[in-house]
Amino acid sequence: MTAPAVVARDLSRRFGDFTAVDRVSFEVERGEIFGYLGANGAGKSTTIRMLTGLLAPSGGEARVAGHDVRAEPDRVKGAIGYMSQKFSLYLDLPVAENLRFFAGAQGLSGKARDARAAEVLARVGLAGREGAVTASLPGGARQRLALGCAILHRPQVLFLDEPTAGVDPLARRDFWALIRELAAGGTTAFVTTHYLDEAEYCRRIGLMVDGRLVALDTPAALKARWVPGQVLVARGRGLDAAALRRLPGVLAAEPFGAGLHVRLDPDRIGAERVAAALRGAGARELSLASAAPSLEDVFLAVVGGAAQEAAP
Amino acid sequence: MAPALEARGLVRRFGAVEALAGISFAVSAGELYGLVGPDGAGKTTTLRALAGLVALDGGEARVLGQDPERGGVRERLGMMPQQYSLYGDLSVAENLAFFSRLYALPRAVYRARADRLLALTRLDRFRERRAEALSGGMYKKLALACALLHEPEVLLLDEPTSGVDPVSRRELWALLHEFVQGGMAVLVSTPYMDEAERCDRVGLVHRGRLLEEGAPRDLVDRYAAEGRPGRHGGAPDFEDLFVARVEARP
Amino acid sequence: MNGRLSRFATRVGAMSFKEALHVRRDPRTLYMALVMPVVMLLLFGYGVSFDVDHLPLAVADGDRSESSRALVRAFTASGEFDRVAEVDPARADDLFRRSRAAAVLVIPWGHARRLAAGRPAAVELLVDGSDGTTANQVLAKADAIVRAEGRRLGPAPASAPPLEVQVLTRYNPAGRSAVYLVPGLAAYLLAIAAVLLTALTVAGEWERGSMEQLFASPVGRLEIILGKLLPYLAIGLVQLLLVLAVGAAVFEVPIAGSLWLVFALGLLFLVGMLGQGLFISVVTRNQLVATQAGALSSLLPSMLLSGMLFPIENMPAPLQALSRVIPARYLVHGLRGAMLKGNGLAVLWPDLASLALFAVVIVALATARFRRRLA
Repeated sequence: MTAPAVVARDLSRRFGDFTAVDRVSFEVERGEIFGYLGANGAGKSTTIRMLTGLLAPSGGEARVAGHDVRAEPDRVKGAIGYMSQKFSLYLDLPVAENLRFFAGAQGLSGKARDARAAEVLARVGLAGREGAVTASLPGGARQRLALGCAILHRPQVLFLDEPTAGVDPLARRDFWALIRELAAGGTTAFVTTHYLDEAEYCRRIGLMVDGRLVALDTPAALKARWVPGQVLVARGRGLDAAALRRLPGVLAAEPFGAGLHVRLDPDRIGAERVAAALRGAGARELSLASAAPSLEDVFLAVVGGAAQEAAP
Repeated sequence: MAPALEARGLVRRFGAVEALAGISFAVSAGELYGLVGPDGAGKTTTLRALAGLVALDGGEARVLGQDPERGGVRERLGMMPQQYSLYGDLSVAENLAFFSRLYALPRAVYRARADRLLALTRLDRFRERRAEALSGGMYKKLALACALLHEPEVLLLDEPTSGVDPVSRRELWALLHEFVQGGMAVLVSTPYMDEAERCDRVGLVHRGRLLEEGAPRDLVDRYAAEGRPGRHGGAPDFEDLFVARVEARP
Repeated sequence: MNGRLSRFATRVGAMSFKEALHVRRDPRTLYMALVMPVVMLLLFGYGVSFDVDHLPLAVADGDRSESSRALVRAFTASGEFDRVAEVDPARADDLFRRSRAAAVLVIPWGHARRLAAGRPAAVELLVDGSDGTTANQVLAKADAIVRAEGRRLGPAPASAPPLEVQVLTRYNPAGRSAVYLVPGLAAYLLAIAAVLLTALTVAGEWERGSMEQLFASPVGRLEIILGKLLPYLAIGLVQLLLVLAVGAAVFEVPIAGSLWLVFALGLLFLVGMLGQGLFISVVTRNQLVATQAGALSSLLPSMLLSGMLFPIENMPAPLQALSRVIPARYLVHGLRGAMLKGNGLAVLWPDLASLALFAVVIVALATARFRRRLA
């Protein structure tokens, strides 16, 4: 049997009176892609800083790749790779030099270093662009290079803190294909993101609200638990969400893209009644289609619900 | 009526690279226009050119019919840059007060507007907090508030929601729709495809050119009519369209 | 028109107020501007002194008479020389090499006899010339002492020499070098602090990313430049006051002339130096480069070409010409005139005019080179 790649038990961090992370517990299996979601300031980055040995917990414990983050932070650092949205590449150096530099920093030298650099270069799809100055790469390629630099030492656990912020859908797609390849090879990936469509790639997702882990499950189970019922996507002009919310059987109506996501209890109300109500409230060019609930629905339900609980 | 914002064949080269290769489009008052495109497509350069911050090698930018490099029109233009552009060591209130003075707003007007914007962005509890201590979403909302203080007729937003969580993002868009309904012309660039669908019209930018332009629904309908399925097998959406169009011209 | 002017003033005020907030949030700026010059003034004032006494003097007395001992006493009596060793003249070199003596007084055998016979009694003074300043002082002092001794011993000259120079030093009668140095130091310290204060500010806006937001607003280039200049001018004037106060309190440097004139000189000089910092900041757009360029461009010229340490009249012609565009030159000259000589506007107006010209030109240059462009 293999030990989990990441274990957190009652992990907490306080800054003065403020509790940034409040008794968080979870386990991440080896080779799992684990999504860690939450609003800005919910405590995601603080958790990652504790798990990567950069910040001492004020309470609880955590083990990463079998090492205690409090007692052996240096061993933890040797076993993990870390990449953030502000990845620290040398922009004035060519691609290959960045890889060689970071490989050297990991203690590789000579032929071993060059061989590993070339291997990673091919792995992240930058073979043939060794000589390009890093600053001249488009954002997506730069981001893959940063990932390459983080996996040079074959880390067991990869921490990715908003790795795709501000990156276009194509580049994000390539990036996630890489992450899935790495996970298939046994690397554990711990990812934070604000793109909920890419959170679908995660095997399990933890949701943070105000420092607490309020939900933890697979995307499918989260949807079943937090957004029950049937989801309809309404498109058209003059859509009035407030009018729908007053209908009995309508569980939620939220703007989504240019349309509305309407969640309803199929035992109490049907699509025809929804369409009629929308038209009655002034909708034009209306079309209704049934849709699968998205993780954004889950996020809004969890975070919105918790915020309402917290409100006086 | 003349458009509020107009790009006429904008050309800008950086060395051998053509960042803008003749982009043209127009945004009218009360319209929300989205610029979408891959990284390095020229979105930021287009927005900066419209604000008069980039020397053009060709074409013309017009804001409310005027050359944005002439000072006068800046009083009627608001801009929210993509990068961090406020003063981190200054508080929320101090940042707002500073920008209001740059626009020479009378004190009473400033107070009323700042109160309203802070309430609208739910930043009123954080007046005294330093900007650098705000979360990503709150920072973006403060930047938006700073860009709106002088009630501009034209608003330029460069990736206003990148790094912002879904809840804050939704609030930002609700705010934008409110301003557009009030008659403001808004040009926004975004890498989020679901946001592109919230615009009245979008322009798909790639390699400094405008590939396609129109209401997002029309564009997706046109794409669906080409007989292509969406990536999940169902009806295609804007992201499918985006990926197909960009991949067709690598 | 009035409205435009008031908007201009509002914007300049907004920039200045914001800049003041930055300073308040990060008081290190203030320490750098106010504490550093005072510390440096104290260090320089005490450390860089041209007043030399207790010079180590070795004596090679070949005569060992009452007269030779009297001559040595004359050297050591005032404390200007200390007798450190009794040596053989042949070993003088050895003493110099080990820096044990600044001079060796050689009194040959027969000194007393010659004096008694009324014949000229020459003594020899070996001086270590490797430290020019000290050597000059040794020579001057020894000359005065020997002359006095000569007058004491010899009969009065039969007739007065047809031409005689009577030296009377005005404005710094004691010849204290602090009096001479403090005005120069004031220029030097103000120059460094002022240039460094502003060298960071415009470059900081670029690095912070806030320049884009500023450029998109109606604020003009001159408004940004002036707004950034004013708060640091206030700090600079406080700094000037501090330096003058420390100079007066610790080094007893007088202000013989008008304090207002001293302030006017300082103000114009500060505007020029702050403008120079802004110019560097505008051109480099990078705080690190700006700091280095700022330090080099203020420190070296204001120390070497201002006349603070080395008289400009003794410089080679090209350096003299170069010193004409160094504002510190006019400040040093003006301050010495106003503080030590009590000169008024009638004498000092060229210095004031030169400083004002530099200030206007450099602020105009900074504004002109300030491009409202991101790319």
